[in-house]
Amino acid sequence: MTKFIIRRFLSLIPTMFVIVTLSFFLIRFAPGGPFSGEKVLPEQVIQNLMKKYHMDQPMYKQYLEYLGNVLRGDFGPSFRYKESTVNELIGESFPTSIILGSVALAFALVAGLGVGVGSALKQNKWQDYTAMSFAVIGISVPMFVVGPVLQLAFAMKLHWLPVTGWITGRAGLAALVLPALTLGFPYFAYIARLSRASILEVLRSDYVRTARAKGLSERVVIWRHVLKGALLPVVSYIGPAFAGIITGSLVVEQVFVVPGIGQIFVQSALNRDYTLIMGEVIVYSLLLVAMNFLVDIVYGFLDPRIAYK
Amino acid sequence: MPSNNNQAINEFNQQVKPVSLWADAWKRLRKNRMALLGLWIVVIMAAITIAAPLLPLYDYTKLDLYHSNLPPSFRTAGEVALSTMQARMDKIQGMIDNGRKDLQPDLDKVKADYAKVQADMVTNPAEKRVYLLGTDYLGRDMLARTIYGGRISMMVGLIGTVTAVLLGILIGAIAGYTGGRLDNLLMRFVDIMYGLPYMLIVIIMMSMFRKEGASSIVILFIAIALVSWLDIARVVRGQIISLKNSEFVEAARSMGASSGRIIFRHLLPNTLGVIIIFTTLLLPSFIMSESFLSFLGLGVSAPDASWGTLVSEGVQAMELYPWRLLVPAIVMTLFLFAMNFLGDGLRDALDPQSKNRA
Repeated sequence: MTKFIIRRFLSLIPTMFVIVTLSFFLIRFAPGGPFSGEKVLPEQVIQNLMKKYHMDQPMYKQYLEYLGNVLRGDFGPSFRYKESTVNELIGESFPTSIILGSVALAFALVAGLGVGVGSALKQNKWQDYTAMSFAVIGISVPMFVVGPVLQLAFAMKLHWLPVTGWITGRAGLAALVLPALTLGFPYFAYIARLSRASILEVLRSDYVRTARAKGLSERVVIWRHVLKGALLPVVSYIGPAFAGIITGSLVVEQVFVVPGIGQIFVQSALNRDYTLIMGEVIVYSLLLVAMNFLVDIVYGFLDPRIAYK
Repeated sequence: MPSNNNQAINEFNQQVKPVSLWADAWKRLRKNRMALLGLWIVVIMAAITIAAPLLPLYDYTKLDLYHSNLPPSFRTAGEVALSTMQARMDKIQGMIDNGRKDLQPDLDKVKADYAKVQADMVTNPAEKRVYLLGTDYLGRDMLARTIYGGRISMMVGLIGTVTAVLLGILIGAIAGYTGGRLDNLLMRFVDIMYGLPYMLIVIIMMSMFRKEGASSIVILFIAIALVSWLDIARVVRGQIISLKNSEFVEAARSMGASSGRIIFRHLLPNTLGVIIIFTTLLLPSFIMSESFLSFLGLGVSAPDASWGTLVSEGVQAMELYPWRLLVPAIVMTLFLFAMNFLGDGLRDALDPQSKNRA
């Protein structure tokens, strides 16, 4: 087991390396540059700026230098927000996105599993049909429709929750509800469908029949035997769900005006703020890769059939 | 005792008609009412969008500012425009009566428009149009825009899917069939690609390489297709590995069939079921991705429109002109709904033992 964890951990290094390299060159070879904005700068100014940001050097030298800096945890100065470094910009906005994303993921997991288990146990009854139709809606309707509709219903008409904005502390909980619901909704729907299907499958399996034949109570059968087996597909879906939540937060943060990292992502790409966008890609990828790593390990603990080779 | 005709004989010595995988699957699919409904919706919507140039639709690019934001109606555009202007004049008049004297110029402007449209009613054929589903902020027909938007959305979905399927089959088949080092290398590559936050890469590509005009669609296709073949490659590889040592492959090889022939003639047809399932599930996900990019302002550029652009335009005016959101959103959701039901039904029909049904 320890060996597996170490090996799995080491395999993260090439993945991160490819991500950094690929995005570095993708960004650098794109047409335009950080100084080709609407305002045309004089030639001399551009040359000085290029020198300041070491952009006058050959590409491979810039790449190696950047790689070295990143390994030391330094993402460099932002090209657009002159007074801040990328580390500062990400440090300010990132915690917000993390809070939003983890609340959304928690909602998707808890509600999704609950609804999934519920409708599996009530298979082909009206509860099941209602829940599953609701789940298909969740999968088919884009977030940028769900978000504004929730805003219209719960904030503008009913006045239960704030429309937009982000407040830290206790009062902020109300402002967190709608964005987190919007962000988690499609993943809630998918997890509900996934867990329902896998529970139905496990219910038909031999070991559940054995458990029942032993005379265990229905509650013990469900909690001890069925749920554990049915959890596996859900656990392996956490990785993709997390990736989806990361990208979804780009939209949700715009709809609800949340000052997170997603808000500046698109803008920094359009601005060609090389260092900022690289920093964001690296932070997002690290999160994603770490999440997949964790999921693999949890999966190993849950499923003793997996051999760690 | 071998039978002479084509019909197999089972252990009870009864003649049964041999059922092919496809006939069997079709039988199962026909029993699934939701999947059939999905199939019909998809077929009808696809037929409408394909036939769009032949349909008596108004030009979806033509602007008419006197007709902006008209609600859906069976009446002619002139009448609807006059009644919305009348309502607006009454509202402004009421505000002026309550002391908002500064609104007088606005009232005069609406009055002038009213007179203009009233004069046009007889002469201008445009006033005789009927906007069944209303108009958008530039007075373009929502019906035509939604149908032409569907064209673009479906095309994005289709091209993305076809590229993903072709690339996925090619790489998956090569990796699975050759095995060994090459397989290892290719699958390592796929693993690494899986770790990429692929939507972010697509966003970077779209925002940096995109130019206004037709080329933006091409970049969109490239960006989406580039990262979408991973699942198919994995599945095809797995299927081919599990089949490549089976007897019918050995038989083909002993008869001197080339590797290419074995792959394309014997192995791939056996993976077709899985590929079809993935195709029906990939298509809606591409349409979703495109609409996502459109919402961020990185999708198809004007005057072209996709369902995604229409919906994101509609969201901005949702409170005042709800039909501008509802029309494209309902149509798009209906299509995605239908595709999802069809995909689920196909999975149940083609792969009844599937493990991860969801």
